[in-house]
Amino acid sequence: MNAHSRRVAGQRLPRLDGIGKVTGKHVYAADFTLPGMLFGKVLRSRRAHALIRKLDISRAAAIPGIRGIITSADIPAVRFGQAVRDTSVFALDRVLFAGHPIAAVAATSLEIAEQAIAAIDVEFEDLPTLFDPEAALDSNIRIHPDWETYKALPIIARSGNISGRARIRAGDVNEAFASAYRVYEHRFTTPLVHPGYTEPRTAVADWDANSNVTVWSNTQLPFDTQNTLAEILDLPAARIRVIVPGIGGGFGGKLRIGVEHFAALLARKTARPVKVMTTCEDELTSAYPRQATVVTLKTGVDREGRLLAREGRIIVDCGAFAGSGPGTAAISLQIMAGPYKTPVLALEGIAVYTNKVPSGSFRAPAGPMANFAVESQMDIIARDLGIDPLEIRLRNIVREGDLGPSGEIHKSVSIEECLRRAADAIGWEQRNPEPGRGKGIACSWWMTTGGSSGVYVKINPDGTATLVSGAVEIGSGAITGAAQVLAEELSLDLTDINVAGVDTQTAPFDYGAQGSRTAFSVGNACLAAASDLRRQMFDLAARQLDAEVNTMVLRDKHVVAGSKSISIAELARISRLSGGGLIAHGTAISPSPAYDPTRLENHPLPAWNSPSYHAHAVDLSVDSATGSVTINRYVVAQDVGFAINPTYIEGQIEGGVAQGIGQALSEEIVYNEGTVVNANLTDYKMPTAQDMPDVECILVECASAAGPYGAKGVGEPPCIQPPAAINNAIAAATGFWLDSLPMTAEKIAKQLRASRA
Amino acid sequence: MTRTNLDILINGERHQILIEPHWTLLHVLRSVVGMMGTKENCLEAECGVCTVLLDGKSVNSCILLAGQTAGRSVTTIEGIGNPEHLHPLQAAFIECGAVQCGYCIPGMILTAKSFLDENPGRRQSRDEIREAIAGNLCRCTGYRKIVDAVALAAERMSVAGAKP
Ligand code: FES
Ligand code: FES
Repeated sequence: MNAHSRRVAGQRLPRLDGIGKVTGKHVYAADFTLPGMLFGKVLRSRRAHALIRKLDISRAAAIPGIRGIITSADIPAVRFGQAVRDTSVFALDRVLFAGHPIAAVAATSLEIAEQAIAAIDVEFEDLPTLFDPEAALDSNIRIHPDWETYKALPIIARSGNISGRARIRAGDVNEAFASAYRVYEHRFTTPLVHPGYTEPRTAVADWDANSNVTVWSNTQLPFDTQNTLAEILDLPAARIRVIVPGIGGGFGGKLRIGVEHFAALLARKTARPVKVMTTCEDELTSAYPRQATVVTLKTGVDREGRLLAREGRIIVDCGAFAGSGPGTAAISLQIMAGPYKTPVLALEGIAVYTNKVPSGSFRAPAGPMANFAVESQMDIIARDLGIDPLEIRLRNIVREGDLGPSGEIHKSVSIEECLRRAADAIGWEQRNPEPGRGKGIACSWWMTTGGSSGVYVKINPDGTATLVSGAVEIGSGAITGAAQVLAEELSLDLTDINVAGVDTQTAPFDYGAQGSRTAFSVGNACLAAASDLRRQMFDLAARQLDAEVNTMVLRDKHVVAGSKSISIAELARISRLSGGGLIAHGTAISPSPAYDPTRLENHPLPAWNSPSYHAHAVDLSVDSATGSVTINRYVVAQDVGFAINPTYIEGQIEGGVAQGIGQALSEEIVYNEGTVVNANLTDYKMPTAQDMPDVECILVECASAAGPYGAKGVGEPPCIQPPAAINNAIAAATGFWLDSLPMTAEKIAKQLRASRA
Repeated sequence: MTRTNLDILINGERHQILIEPHWTLLHVLRSVVGMMGTKENCLEAECGVCTVLLDGKSVNSCILLAGQTAGRSVTTIEGIGNPEHLHPLQAAFIECGAVQCGYCIPGMILTAKSFLDENPGRRQSRDEIREAIAGNLCRCTGYRKIVDAVALAAERMSVAGAKP
């Protein structure tokens, strides 16, 4: 099938959930209520590190309207967690960060629940604190004194406050540095940032008469939530049903269990449905933000700016629990290598505990942090050697067949096209159109996240199809994209596809709306289901039409065999009478590329599936008095393999750039002595419509052999390059680079004054 | 509890509701009247997801005491169009691909409506639109397609010359 013959896939069709969303009819988790529902609240520590000396709930329990209170005394001391099982529902004998849950209450109204929280009496004895991840590396303060007793994935290397350490090595760096023309060393830092979804994390839980629990929540990973709840509640997973109504964004922040366990435990205690929803303060003090990092890079080059060797280390501040810290530290290594050919590598990623909020995954975990370092340093090297920043990249980028950092072979490589098209679009030949104005460029690569997907597809008697998937439509349009693949294969219109809501009791497994995978992986599962359905329909049609299966095609909602045809609707009706209806199960798993295991140590994600390549170019002005940055133009050239629905791919790119610009210029969770000082949306500054330019998207389509019609993962990449591209443009405008995010007006003004003096 | 009576017009229908003095309009809409189209998030007038129209002007319902709305007219997203008859803004948001997770969208559309109604029959510049919607955070879209949608609706409404 060639691109021109596709009627549905590749078209800018309106998303299937659009009308519900613009009319207010779409139901989100936050909108979900049940009769007799109670409201839950969580008591959170205000101390950063302390022993709990006394916990007295008697005053709170006496408040009228309180229906139940739970503390760690009421539940088994289960430890859970993704890579390291270091997390408990409530603080056990000690709190590890300001925000650590201590108790939860359920009441007939939110106000009463809040009063009860205030009436719980806790006495603490402070412990010495650790807030600086570098200091935590060799401090003798232990945030988890008994970390050795925690279970962890075998791939995770731990010691002291280190919750994970991964390495990639190739060749001998010291030898390579000794023979290099020049060696550059830099250190960059990035702060904690919040995913900033507009719908707070919410769960409603209800137990039925057979002691099974149903949880309605806005999780990105219903099956992971189901499993974690099974451990916490000590029940088989099959007795826990997770249903996802609508979800108001996630960006990785709603991957791991957030409030579902509080709702389920309170509902069990009170025998009533319970709703728990976070506040803005909860979100900014105790959700799962992007880790703060310290990145050090040492790079050796030859006279022409060719990369000879790179030594890199990223320290990922995972906060009080490991969360996705070990994984993020490991993924950073691929980003530190960049989409560059570097023969010698010594890369190390370390996740370390501190007494701060446990962090998680936020869109392209590791991307913006490591790329900020790598791509800023590329420009610094170019300036020093007198090479144009675009040129130094073109000299070093990987080409088809080159070895990647894990020894894998780069395939379907489009980085040169991305760089050239982004540079052309921004008008690269004129990098300083006027004083105080400059253009910058940055590039990167990123994986198509793996994991398996299953779908059921059922043909309805009217000839439409119902798609049942365990993947959440998080807002990206990915499920509409997968439905486009299905419609294309079945010769249906997109509006003929009904998408069922996600319910772990009825949906096949899906690895989840995480990473850049949903349209890719669910789309592949739809291809498989459609092929099975075609076989079923052809078999049935063979009898009805008295024709050979190998003469049949599916066209315009009919099975056609020469001059004879029968509609899909008719076949579905016949099948209902004779064979239980037309239904298929399609599955997909991303291929794992071959790699060289001798290069890797403790790396949970050794080689990237169907990677994508991309370049960002920005034109900005810096106010010479205030240091404030105005973005004049922003261009993204991104290889998406095949654009299943260009409109929503652009939406993903524009939104990802907005988050990247926030991280570049304004966003930061600010701690002072272990307390977040900006836990509200006035002081945590996300970009508004006035802060954003009209992002210009160039979709490059260099097909992947593994994706539906060649598609690659799309969602995370646009968040990666904005900090580096903006830093390089600031340097073009001012002559200096910043070494820490966010690049606030204050920091820039300070450097402007210093460079004038 | 000292409940008082609130007489209020919501989407053209008169409601008489017993309220407590500290209840916000958002609480009344979502928890008493059951109109879930109006969303909640920050509860401190920073994100805009709870925007409704009060006598035609956009307000953050999360910080407006319900008592202050007595005798006034409130319009929520449910009141400006429905799936069979979309408001031009609703149609434009879908057409332009301006909807992603959708959680900000009801508030965004009502803010845009209030802005367009203040300037009837006029096309809006992109900068004017950006300024008008700057109080509504959207974390999914990057705003470009939202601005496209408001501009498209403004154009259509100005051509139509009348409010629908
Ligand atoms: S909930 Fe009202 S402005 Fe955020
Ligand atoms: S569409 Fe998700 S916040 Fe705007």
